[in-house]
This record gives sequence, C-alpha cells and structure tokens, in this order.
Amino acid sequence: MTTLAATPVSAVLISRLLRGILPLLIVVIVVFFAVAAPGFLTLGNLSSLLLNNFVLLAIVAIGMTWAVAAGGIDLSVGTAVDFASLAFVVLLNGGHGLPVAISGALLAGALVGGFNAGLIAGLGITPFLATLGTLFIGTSIQQLLSEGGQPIYIAQNLLPGLSAMSWLGVPLPLWLVLGVATVYGVILARGRLGREILAVGTQVQLARYSGLSIRQISLKVFIASALACAVAGIVLSSTVNAYVPMSGNAFLINAIGAVFMGTTLSRNGRANIPGTLLGVLFINVIANGLLLIGWNFYWQQVATGALILLVLAFSFGSRRLQAQQ
Amino acid sequence: MPSSEILVQPLARRLGLLLLRRGSLLALLLILAVFAVSAPNFLSPGNIANVFAQSAILGILAFGLTCVVIGGGSNVVSGGLDLSLAANLGLCAAVYSSLNNAGLNAAQAIGLTLLCGLAVGALNGFTVVVLRLPPLLATLASMNLIAGLELVLTQNSVLPTDSALLDILATGEWLRVPVLAWVLLGVALLLGLLIQHSPYGLRLYAVGEYPQAARAAGLGVGRYVFSSYLIAGLCAAVAAFCSAAFFSGSTTGSGDMLLSVVAIAFLGVVFSRRLVANIPGTLLATLLLGFLINGFQLLNIASFWVNGVQGVLILLVVAMSSALRKEEGGQ
Repeated sequence: MTTLAATPVSAVLISRLLRGILPLLIVVIVVFFAVAAPGFLTLGNLSSLLLNNFVLLAIVAIGMTWAVAAGGIDLSVGTAVDFASLAFVVLLNGGHGLPVAISGALLAGALVGGFNAGLIAGLGITPFLATLGTLFIGTSIQQLLSEGGQPIYIAQNLLPGLSAMSWLGVPLPLWLVLGVATVYGVILARGRLGREILAVGTQVQLARYSGLSIRQISLKVFIASALACAVAGIVLSSTVNAYVPMSGNAFLINAIGAVFMGTTLSRNGRANIPGTLLGVLFINVIANGLLLIGWNFYWQQVATGALILLVLAFSFGSRRLQAQQ
Repeated sequence: MPSSEILVQPLARRLGLLLLRRGSLLALLLILAVFAVSAPNFLSPGNIANVFAQSAILGILAFGLTCVVIGGGSNVVSGGLDLSLAANLGLCAAVYSSLNNAGLNAAQAIGLTLLCGLAVGALNGFTVVVLRLPPLLATLASMNLIAGLELVLTQNSVLPTDSALLDILATGEWLRVPVLAWVLLGVALLLGLLIQHSPYGLRLYAVGEYPQAARAAGLGVGRYVFSSYLIAGLCAAVAAFCSAAFFSGSTTGSGDMLLSVVAIAFLGVVFSRRLVANIPGTLLATLLLGFLINGFQLLNIASFWVNGVQGVLILLVVAMSSALRKEEGGQ
C-alpha cells in the first residue's frame, strides 16, 4: 500500500488521461470535422454513417470482442458472415419465408463457430491458426458454390425492406446493434460466463487450476462470436439484397483494430463491448470525415493506419506507466 | 538417462511418435507421388523448375515472417508476427515501378526500393521494440498504413514497367533453371546459413523462446527483435522485385497474399524436429504448396480447391504437432 501512497499524483493523472485517449480523440475529430467539413454534422450524413458503416462492423466487432477477451482471436469472422448471408439468401429465394431464412442463417453461422470451437477445444489448436484454417476452407467452399465469386441476388419482393424499417424513429439495424451489444456486453461485464471468459483470457493456468473448463468456455466463445457475425450477415444481405461471396472478409482487419483500440478504455487492458463500439465509431468517423473534406479513399487508409498506431502507442504507454507504479 | 527411457518405451508408441514427427514429410512425398502418377508432366525437370520459380514470391515473404517468428517467439498473439509483409511487397513493387518509370538508373531504383522495404521493417521494429506494442497490432496498423501509401502511389492501378533486372528475373535461365528459382534458393541458402548456422541465428532463437534467459545472458533482446523486422522488410523488397518481374510491374491486391504467407511460415514449423520455425522448413512448406497448386493445374482441378486444401493442411499439421507436443510433454 505504501507504493500506492507514494505514487506521484501526476503519474496517476497521466495514466487516467491516457486511458481516456479514445473517447477524447473521437471528440476531437468530431469537432475538427464539424468545423472543417460543412456537411459532417448534418442528420443525413450522420445517419448514413451509422447505418451504412457503423452497423455491420460493430456487430462483427462485438463477436470479436468475446474471442479477444478469452485470449484468442477469430480470423474467420468473414466466413461466418458469408455463410449466414448465403443461407439467408438461398432460403429466401427458395420461398421458405423470413423466419426460416433468419434461423437458417444463424444456424449456418453457428456451424462455422462450432467448427472453430471443435478445432480449438477438441484438437487443441490455437485460435489464430484454427480460425485461419477455417477461413481458407470457407473461402474454398464459397468459391466452389458460387463458381468463383458470382453474387446471388435476392428475388424481388421477397424481402420486405428490412433495413429501411424503423421503430420509435430509430432504424431497425441500429436496434439490432443495440440488442447484440447489450446481450454480449452485459454477459461479458456482469455475467458469470463473462467472468470466466476474462479469467481464461488473462490467466489461463489459474483458470484451469480453479476448475474452469477451458474447453467449454472456448466452445461458447467461438459459437457466440460466429453468431454475432451471422446477424451481421443477415443485415448485410438484406442491405445489398444479395449474397456476395467472400465479402465478409472486409470486416476482419477493422474489427480486430476496433477491439484492441477498445481495450484502452479498460483499466486492465481487457476487451470490452463499450470500448469496441467506440473503436468502431472512431474508424467510421475518420473515414467519413476524411471523405467529406475531400481526401480520397487511399489517403483515408493511410490516416486510419497512422491514427490506430497512435492510439495503441498511447494506450500501451499508459499501461506501462501503470505497471511501473 | 533420456536414452534408456526411450528404449523402454513400447514400440508401438515410438512408431506413433515417429509417424507424427515425420508425418508432414510423408504427406509431402505422398502428394508428390500422387501427382507424379496422375499428371504425366509433373516430374519433368521443366515443371519442377517452374514450381520453384512460381513459389519464389510467397517463399521469400515467408522467410521474412519466419525470421520474425523466431525472434519474437511463436505465440501468435504476443509473439513475433509481421502482418505487413504482403503490403510491404505491394509498396516496394509500386516504388520500384514508379522510380524506374521516372527514369532513375538501375542502381538508384533498386537501392531506393530496398531502402523502402527496410524503412517499413524499421517502422515495425520501432513500434514493437520501442513502443512495445504487441506485434499483431503494430503490424496490423502498419499494414493499413503501407497499403494506403501504395494506393496513394498507384491510384489503385497497375504500374507497368520494364527494366533489365526484371527481364533477367522473368525470362533468364541458368543451367536450364529459371532465375526466379535461383533467387528463391539463394535467399533460402543465405537466410538458412544466417539463421540456422550462425551465432546470430542461435541468439535470435534464444531471444524468441527464452527472452528472460537471453537478457540474463547479456543479449540485447530489443536489438535482435528489431533486426528480425529489418530482415523481413528486406525480404519484402526482394520479393517485390520477383513480383514486379512476374507481373511486368506493380499489381494491385498484393495484400491478399498475407494469409498464405502466414500459413506457410506456420506450416514450416512441422518440418523441424523440435517444432520451431525454421528456414528449411519454410522452404519445404512453400514448395509443398507450390507443388499442390501446380498439380491441381496439371490435373485441371479448379483452383477454387487450393484454399481449402491449404486450410485443411494447416489444421491437420497443427493438430498433429500439438498432439506431438502433448505426447512429448507427457513423457
């Protein structure tokens, strides 16, 4: 305790400040773009930012958060998104109706997650390599099914404009994000499973010795991660009215980036849902704002990379500061 | 004595262990045999030389990753990893093409391209060693940055270019073997000597697997890790020349190679007795994949299968090696 008392106030302040770097940066860039890009703060732009960019990445990243919290990573998020999207579109086109299509999509996602879980929990393969293998196999299966990547379009009038619906003035996809975030967030932060996940993620030996079944926990984690991706797959195919093979992979890198940027929010550097959502927002706001002030897509990518590096450098610096105290 | 322990082991178990350990090599030979029987041209010297040449780009990138994995440790999340390799290749190829098109002389263009690869390696080394970011994240971010720079430079289009160097790489032959194949073997030999047979290599392994012990023994851990990223950067630049020769300029979408590179480097692990990343193993894994793709082409099997077979191979091999580790740990 003496070390605590001896900690200089300034060091505590600095580490607190660094922990708040992500929300702070978001506020700064929002203010910057509000001034620099006249169209940024309009309702039309903000709602398009949320609906077209935020929703899908957020749902995928929420699933990824669980995988990272459990000390793993899920490289096959794209596969789960695509398989769900494929099942959804095929079942809809087959005339089976929306409820069957949605359940089928969730089942397809869960199958991918179950495959991962089998590899990780059953065969003892590390999540990184297991999900890498799944990703490769998933890509092949999609290429074979779609003759190299031909999209399958949803027949007209089959889908009742899912993404255009709204409730209490808020579009349906946003409700979905809210729902998924609440379920995954509450379980991770407050639930028994969440505590077990974090235990496995931070101290796997300790978790094993205290009688937790690592296998069961990774089983749940990777199925849950894939289920979130399946939800994203449903939203994706109902937005673009099609299944586009191998399109889910686009979310992978940004989802990982968002989750790890989100860990800066936590005192112990743990993956958490609010942090992940802020990370997704950060990535989306930068891309949108830079587009509005006339930077092309290419420079956006450079700037995004540099800013992510900056956030990570700050946050890991702050954790080192804390560790030294 | 460990030797007496091995002697008292039941024969069946020893055979099982041997099979597991040599299984990957057996799998390679089996695949070769199947193709040799079913595809008539497969074992012709010309075809084999072709496979070597076509494997050059992926192989050299995978060598770079192998060095990083050795220096950083084999834990994929906290250990050594360089996700920016493929993007670095893209940037280097774009830099070389535009410098060459801008009329710089050969030495300048080549030198600056190598410098570009090194600079990216230095950036990764800086973020990993000095800023102490986990390599997975540091190189993920730098991958974004570098891929963006490549896009800025090329405007997402192909930059065709032509030079004496590229001509030699693309069409040159020595002893009836394409130059690209020689480049692959040359880089493998150089790095093999450096990593497997020099004090530097030994220390790099020590730094990667036992950083505490290495530090206690007075090794500058950070410097070794940093140097492994520099090697990776150089590999990316060399691979960029091969890629530019192959495609007559820079191409878009080089980032797609990343996952194959990662898969090869980790596949290479099973070709070593102690299951650590190593240069000869990576070379074998590269060729295994090259022969697979080539055999599929010769047999007219759709290329769509390649990814899947690659995925199954990774899983099979990794599951086998983790079973092997458990077996040996249990002894």
